[in-house]
Amino acid sequence: MVKTPVQYNKKQRRLVMQENVAAYAFLLPFLIFFVGFVLYPMFMCVYTSFFDATMGREDIFVGLKNYQDLFQDEVFWIALRNTLVIVVVSVPITCIFSLWVASAISKMPVAATSAFRCIFYLPVVTGSVAVTMVWKWMFNNYYGIFNYLGKDVLGILDKNINWLGDEKYALWCIILILLTTSVGQPIVLYVSALDNVDKSLVEAAEVDGATPKQAFWKIKWPQMMPTTLYILVITTINSFQCFALIQLLTSGGPKNSTMTIMYYIYYSAFKLYKYGYGNAMGVILAIIIAILSAIQFKAGQEK
Amino acid sequence: MKKIVALLLALVMVLSLGACSVEKAAETKAPETQPAAAEGTQAAAPEAAGDPVEISLWTYPIGKWTDEATVSALLADFNAAYPNITVKVEYLDYTNGDDKVNTAIEGGQAPDIVMEGPERLIANWGAKGLMVDLKDIVPAGTYDSVLSSCTSADGAVYEMPVCMIAHCMAINRDVFEAADALQYLNEETHTWNSVEDFFKAVQAVYDAGNEYVGTIYCGGQGGDQGTRALITNLSGGTYANAEHTEYTYASQENAEALAKLYAQEGITFDTAIQAADEIQAFVNGTFQMAFCWNIGQEVTNADALSFDVLPMAFPSDTTPSLQGGIWGFGVFNNGDEAKIEAAKTFIKFMTEDDAQYIKAVEATTYAPVRDVEGVYATDELFPEYNLLSPMMGDYYQVTKGWTQARTEWWNMLQRVSATDGSVEAILAEMETAQTAANTAAAAEG
Amino acid sequence: MKHYSQLSPEQRRAKLYSIFSCVVICLIAFTFLFPLYWIITGSFKTKTEILSSTPVWVPSEWVMTNYENLMSKRTAPLFDFSLFGYTITGPTIPGAIRWLLNTVVMSVSSMLLTCLTAAMAGYALAKKRFYGRTILFSLIVCAMALPKQVILIPLVREMSALNLYDTIWSVIIPIVGWPFGVFLLKQFAEGIPTEMVEACRIDGASEWRTFTDVMFPMIKPGVGACAIFTFINSWNDYFMQLIMLMSTKELTISVGIATMQGENSTDFGILMAGSALASIPIIIVFLIFQKYFTKGITMGAVKG
Repeated sequence: MVKTPVQYNKKQRRLVMQENVAAYAFLLPFLIFFVGFVLYPMFMCVYTSFFDATMGREDIFVGLKNYQDLFQDEVFWIALRNTLVIVVVSVPITCIFSLWVASAISKMPVAATSAFRCIFYLPVVTGSVAVTMVWKWMFNNYYGIFNYLGKDVLGILDKNINWLGDEKYALWCIILILLTTSVGQPIVLYVSALDNVDKSLVEAAEVDGATPKQAFWKIKWPQMMPTTLYILVITTINSFQCFALIQLLTSGGPKNSTMTIMYYIYYSAFKLYKYGYGNAMGVILAIIIAILSAIQFKAGQEK
Repeated sequence: MKKIVALLLALVMVLSLGACSVEKAAETKAPETQPAAAEGTQAAAPEAAGDPVEISLWTYPIGKWTDEATVSALLADFNAAYPNITVKVEYLDYTNGDDKVNTAIEGGQAPDIVMEGPERLIANWGAKGLMVDLKDIVPAGTYDSVLSSCTSADGAVYEMPVCMIAHCMAINRDVFEAADALQYLNEETHTWNSVEDFFKAVQAVYDAGNEYVGTIYCGGQGGDQGTRALITNLSGGTYANAEHTEYTYASQENAEALAKLYAQEGITFDTAIQAADEIQAFVNGTFQMAFCWNIGQEVTNADALSFDVLPMAFPSDTTPSLQGGIWGFGVFNNGDEAKIEAAKTFIKFMTEDDAQYIKAVEATTYAPVRDVEGVYATDELFPEYNLLSPMMGDYYQVTKGWTQARTEWWNMLQRVSATDGSVEAILAEMETAQTAANTAAAAEG
Repeated sequence: MKHYSQLSPEQRRAKLYSIFSCVVICLIAFTFLFPLYWIITGSFKTKTEILSSTPVWVPSEWVMTNYENLMSKRTAPLFDFSLFGYTITGPTIPGAIRWLLNTVVMSVSSMLLTCLTAAMAGYALAKKRFYGRTILFSLIVCAMALPKQVILIPLVREMSALNLYDTIWSVIIPIVGWPFGVFLLKQFAEGIPTEMVEACRIDGASEWRTFTDVMFPMIKPGVGACAIFTFINSWNDYFMQLIMLMSTKELTISVGIATMQGENSTDFGILMAGSALASIPIIIVFLIFQKYFTKGITMGAVKG
């Protein structure tokens, strides 16, 4: 960071200038897209959140009313709670599970590693609509595979469970599907990160009598920290933005038990045309995610 | 390997270049085509070739209006008469269609013509002032039976009706016969003898060993016309007031009807499925009756149905009052007079002349909305389903706050499924939902 | 290989653990494979078997009806473009083929553009000291946090003002602007020792040469990862495609299949046939880019 440029002499200042010009030259192509098609709409989103905006009439400025309404909206709080449950459950599981799978498959022969990596990526690859349809069928109350296996084959269940229609299970079913679609990328990254851990350090530690467990946590884990940080941030964002599953499976029900903020935003903005309200919710969600990401960055950097 | 790929690529290139067609943009569609060349279009006197106009037509999946071959044939008829007007057809589906149209409207990219029903054309886009009043092209007297449903509160006609349907329910005739439950209904008129007999029939089918007879699906808004019609017909109650300004379903009789369904063996509340899933489970024999049905469903599922389907009116002690659908064309006001004129020309062409109108209606697979001779002359299913058309009741889907009211309805059913099933508890849930829906209706003014 | 009884207790435990984890992973892998298996076999089933109330594990009769329906229900020109007021239209082909081509073109374009812009920007963010760096990075994180749904309407307005609505560019551009790639490659670039970059500069290489000759080769595995993630993300960016694309000839495969669905009836046959067809190219791409993962991803980790 350049803190107080005044202290520099002329030559240094020229160098600083050069560095700045070069940096922005490299950033330029990205910035064109970013500023034009992400930042500008983002600014419009924040701007609209102060208006009572809907289809077919001029927007009316209402100040912070959308935000006030939001905090009094019961469904918003339910949605926030559900979203947090999804994040709190799925982020650690995704990270731990993918680390475990990655460390197990990276020891296998190359072909097996490739095969497993591909398999764990498949649910992402196959396209969300079709995969969700298959899951929906598996959870079906009358002829789904879970009830079929549970009742007719294994005999654990006395009667059919309406998995997606039962408040007790619905959110967990969503989390389960979310997990299958979100571990692919972390596994890919962890396998490569494990591959690239400095082998000589691990060997040295083993010579010094470290158990594989110690070698893993003391040597490999710190080296994989940046990967973990990236995975944490991405998984957190993805879990917060869980939307397609809800839209395709439960529409937020039963009794709002799977209502997430993303689905509620979609519902408010696209079904009820409350653009200002939806955007206010989007801003709140973005703030929450940004704060969490900042915390993750801080924690990751300190380690 | 590389050579083969290169060869293939080259082959594809040559073939595609050979098959390509080059057209001057300004003169799409050769103007030398003689007007009125197509048979059966004599009545639509073409105004010869004017300036070329391109309009867009977006259709929701209304029967075969989602089938490219069918729609292309209709367009070919139109272009034979009006070679200067190019119609670009795009197909919508009910799951995503609204999102597409709404964002297109916001982005200033609304289509010129859209094919849908009054809930969107009048109650939604019409009420927001986005549509063109079509009064000048609706011939007086022809559409009287449905025109009021296509007219907004201030008298503007935002939909040129084309077809209609009475949504009904369906039963698995084979299973009902085996359970000796056909005695409770009239196969000729497709009606139940009485509300009591409906419940007797459900009981008989249940007792015959069918665990699932029917379900009150409430996993979302899809096909909620079925559950609405079932409850209001059982009770003889109403859903909205006659002026279509507020919802009235939270009544003692509706709550009693729902409580009776709740208590009935064989009828479950399923909070995970919507109508599409219910239909699927009916078709594969899981359920013995479906509450969301119409002729379109029987056509679509024909090759998967292994039993005899009997379409039925909803059970009622008076005359059944079925939920209807009236589909037709609406025109968006995109500020371009030439396009609006072209859109009106298209609509007039499709609806004015009897022969062309029959083609347009038969493409929907639904019933015509005006008197016309010879429609569905060769269709076997149509006469059976058409018996239900006269039972079409009040078209309350244009009540204000409709979108939110739909959400409130299925959420209410979900909450009811978790109550003890007492009339008081159900009525309380109904009142909560109705209040929210009425608040939304009031907010729309 | 030593015999099991010759191993020390610790080694035994390790061995047992690795067998156990292998079995568990195989079981889990099976559930991951299942949806694809079900989709592929389902695409060859008759309608009755697709809707059947007892699971049909293997189609009793393999039929092509679903693929025929997928191919015959919509048509589109192979390609079309305007030149000097003339519209050049290719031969008419099944819509599904055109949709597949569109999806490939869209995903490849966004992949290439993202990799290029993100590699440059990631390098600048990681290795350059410039005014506004912290602010820019915070904005990037905020932008990633923002739900896409809320920026859709301004984005549609922008695209239609630029005459890009209903073209694949309206889907590509927001993906390129979406800062995931930059974030990923910044993490990678930070792992490259700064001394290497400086040494190159001292040798008199230009900024651009430093980037292409030193930086880029070193972050190549990262670029590979970025390429595949972008490819797959844009392939699966269903909602954006749904909103931005309208014409039959502009659609992508998943949105195209959606337009074939009727009221209250999902044609699972077409859905599965389309998804099976669409997953093939993407699996191929994954296998091609795999080799980049196997060596040298040193995300942000400073070696030595």
